Amino acid sequence: MKRDLVCFKGAAEGVYLDIKGKDFEAIKKELDDKMKNSYKFFEGAKFLGVRCDELTQKQLLEITLILKYKYDFNISKDEILDSLLNVKDNFKGEADCYSKCITDEGKTKFIYGTLRSGQTVEYDGNIVIIGDVNPGAFLKAKGNIIVLGTLRGVAQAGDGGDEKAVVAAYCLLPTQLRIGDIIVRSPDGDMQYKLPEIARIIDGKVLIEPYLPNK
Amino acid sequence: MENEKLGTAIVVTSGKGGVGKTTTTANIGTGLSILGYSVVIVDADIGLRNLDVVMGLENRIVYDIVDVVEKNCRLKQALIKDKRFERLYLLPAAQTKDKSAVKPEQMVELITQLKKDFDYIIIDSPAGIEQGFQYSIAGADIAIIVTTPEISAVRDADRVIGILEAKELYNPKLIVNRIRPEMVKRGDMMNIDDIVDILAIDLIGIVPDDEAIVISTNKGEPVVLDEKSKAGQAYRNISRRIIGEEIEFLNLEADEEGKLSKIIKLLFGK
Repeated sequence: MKRDLVCFKGAAEGVYLDIKGKDFEAIKKELDDKMKNSYKFFEGAKFLGVRCDELTQKQLLEITLILKYKYDFNISKDEILDSLLNVKDNFKGEADCYSKCITDEGKTKFIYGTLRSGQTVEYDGNIVIIGDVNPGAFLKAKGNIIVLGTLRGVAQAGDGGDEKAVVAAYCLLPTQLRIGDIIVRSPDGDMQYKLPEIARIIDGKVLIEPYLPNK
Repeated sequence: MENEKLGTAIVVTSGKGGVGKTTTTANIGTGLSILGYSVVIVDADIGLRNLDVVMGLENRIVYDIVDVVEKNCRLKQALIKDKRFERLYLLPAAQTKDKSAVKPEQMVELITQLKKDFDYIIIDSPAGIEQGFQYSIAGADIAIIVTTPEISAVRDADRVIGILEAKELYNPKLIVNRIRPEMVKRGDMMNIDDIVDILAIDLIGIVPDDEAIVISTNKGEPVVLDEKSKAGQAYRNISRRIIGEEIEFLNLEADEEGKLSKIIKLLFGK
């Protein structure tokens, strides 16, 4: 008997979609067939997310959009991206592809303007600051931190232990830098490199280097 | 007064103490009245009153700001007319009370009332970011941030700008006080560019460190009245920038070498 490519499964909090294989066209067709028969069944159900091993993130997004717009699943715009990420929380340890997504991409908070002393931004995704981060300001992100300006405050990327997270800035002069569980501070004394730089963990140490070395 | 005006309320604040808020308030207030505007300067530093001393008006105080908000007297009874200018008034702080004597709503009401009678209301805020600071900024339309070229003062200024933004008081103006050009030149003092780079707000004045300030403060004569003083000139320029004139920044090194200082070049280069 042919194995189902697409299968809705129930959990205590709602339903999630389990997808096997990587033949995207076949998966979409089977999803359509299934929905035709059980359209009413899912009305009002809470949709938790999509679980799969072999689809790309773009394909996942397409599936989520199909569910929302073609079949009226109760998914808000914010949840479209979240649903991709939340899968990881709901099925811890099962879907490796998502933990990779969180470091590489994932949701992002944009802040416009200067972040000043005493101001804090915390986000369980990436943070992008279009402006400066002054001394005394604090950034904390599960993912990466990008500052399109000067970073002089404290930045904590990969909060929760993600050592693949990075911190990048047009001018990287942080009071303190934390990536994953590693904390480093800027050297004592004056130093001013007016080059865009990126900080990341390599071999258990924080390495800071220009990301446009030829400029 | 006959026809109703709608004045502008400006709060002078800094976060850090001792950077020159009171001196700045006294001089901007006097500077604006030299230019012919009707001005009231309000001392919001309740319990640590000294704007009256700097203005040389201490012996005229009968009622104060707390009497006004508690309705022990009429507003006009508490306003002290300056000895030099017809249209310059001072609303003194109370010395026997503390900062809990005034609430932000009362301050808004007071400033709204003053706006009907004056072109400019200049509020001298206390140091810090607590109660006193909170009611000082409550009725203000514009904030002037005073800082000195020290990292601690700049840090506090930055914090205050953030709080002002949170209170929806945007685009504060910056005065860098007590700059010493020869020290900046030697690289021993932060230069204006460094400060503006961090704070990222509009610069409205640079005031040099000047002995004349100490003398004028002790005499109760704002330095802005001293034609020969560089600091006085700086405050006259700030007053004119407040009313919207475009004035070049002072050449602070003129005395020493007669050529454009690095600061000035950097400023004009911007």
